[in-house]
Amino acid sequence: MRKSHKIDEHTIGEKMEPFAFKGRHIIDTADLSNDEIMHLVKVCDEIQAMGDDKARTLCKGKILATLFWEPSTRTRLSFEAAMYRLGGNVLGFSEAKSSSVSKGETLADTIKTVSLYADIIAMRHPMEGSALAASQYSEVPVINGGDGPHLHPTQTLGDIYTLIKEKGRLEGLKMGFLGDLLFGRTVHTLVRVLARFGVELHFFSPEGLNIPAYVRSDLEAKGAVFTEQEGLGGRLAELDALYVTRLQKERFFSEEEYLRKKNSYVVDRETLTRAKDDVLVLHPLPRNEEIHPNVDGLPNAGYFRQATYGMQMRMSLISTCLGVKA
Amino acid sequence: MTMRIERINNGIVLDHIKAGMGIHILKLFEVELLHTKIDYASYIDSPSLGMKDIIKIENLDVDPKMLMKMALLAPDITISFIRDGHVDKKVKPEVPPLVEGVINCPNPKCITQQEVYLTSRFQVAFEEDGRLRQQCLFCEHIFYS
Ligand SMILES: [Zn+2]
Repeated sequence: MRKSHKIDEHTIGEKMEPFAFKGRHIIDTADLSNDEIMHLVKVCDEIQAMGDDKARTLCKGKILATLFWEPSTRTRLSFEAAMYRLGGNVLGFSEAKSSSVSKGETLADTIKTVSLYADIIAMRHPMEGSALAASQYSEVPVINGGDGPHLHPTQTLGDIYTLIKEKGRLEGLKMGFLGDLLFGRTVHTLVRVLARFGVELHFFSPEGLNIPAYVRSDLEAKGAVFTEQEGLGGRLAELDALYVTRLQKERFFSEEEYLRKKNSYVVDRETLTRAKDDVLVLHPLPRNEEIHPNVDGLPNAGYFRQATYGMQMRMSLISTCLGVKA
Repeated sequence: MTMRIERINNGIVLDHIKAGMGIHILKLFEVELLHTKIDYASYIDSPSLGMKDIIKIENLDVDPKMLMKMALLAPDITISFIRDGHVDKKVKPEVPPLVEGVINCPNPKCITQQEVYLTSRFQVAFEEDGRLRQQCLFCEHIFYS
């Protein structure tokens, strides 16, 4: 039961289709086939191989609008840096308060107007389905930078690129997910894409904060290999990568429970002595206490490099959707 | 079968409504039912449905969009249009797989709640247990009737 315009990821198989990204909207990773995702990864590499100066000619004269009805400095800066590194220009707003939206302008009118000024739009909006709605009004490609708690495809694609660059492959990787897996939108989208690429998934979450039923049934339907347990425990030694998510105090039943369980969900240097030497630690950032700063200096700390790869993936998306890179 | 409601001369008869859903069907009408004679019987024995609701409304006509709304609430519903004491026509609306602009998404965080000019779109399908699954194509929220 997916949107009618979606490509069924299972029908594409090995055959390499021609990729038509020019003019396309990026709303949901479920719209992208595995081959299309790998194509975006290839474009990331190609742009990086061009070197900074040459990359800065790709989007010369083009304008990216970053429309953020909801503040998210990290995502917005990543999009804007991506466009500047492609030699383009950026305009936009970073919260609804400062925009015409506070004067009651509809999403439709904002998008119709902005698509006259800009060549491509990156947006974040608190309502679910807002990016899909915007794509119907827009004359230019719309990239979803988060529609409420619903979808956040550029984060997922950046994480995929991170794993490929750091681990060299996806298939057969054993990947752990630690923390609050019930409310973590990042994890929900990411694991469903990873399952399509044959990654083994191991979930470690406090009781009551497990992956939601719809994600579990989706993974089962895809034939994914996955396990669920509380705390990191023994499986830590098997993992190739560990994706840590923010643990929020208010999600726990009580302060006491939080304090009691917190330590099973914190990764520090001591934790990593029980893991593979080259285990890759990732985090969507910003973090709370769940990754101790004493991990930062280790080569395993992939979370800052992850932000770089995320920006590089946004460069790939902007340039393919604009059609300046095939 | 005991009939607890009277014949009408002009209007509509809504039959084969899943028991208990009649009240929701009536709620679809806003002002049309003021000063109108309505007969409403619920939890009547039905050979095909077990229990059903029947509604008769005098001097009322309904358009295709309203028929679709009623069918989404009560997929087995039949509507008889009565003229001069006779059944002029009887319809059983089919529910298509894609329903556009008929129903509103109940998810308060859905963009269709805010953008009033946006045409709602739902993918509709029957589950094995007979329930009607409706998925908003904007927020992907799923609900049943
Ligand atoms: Zn909705």
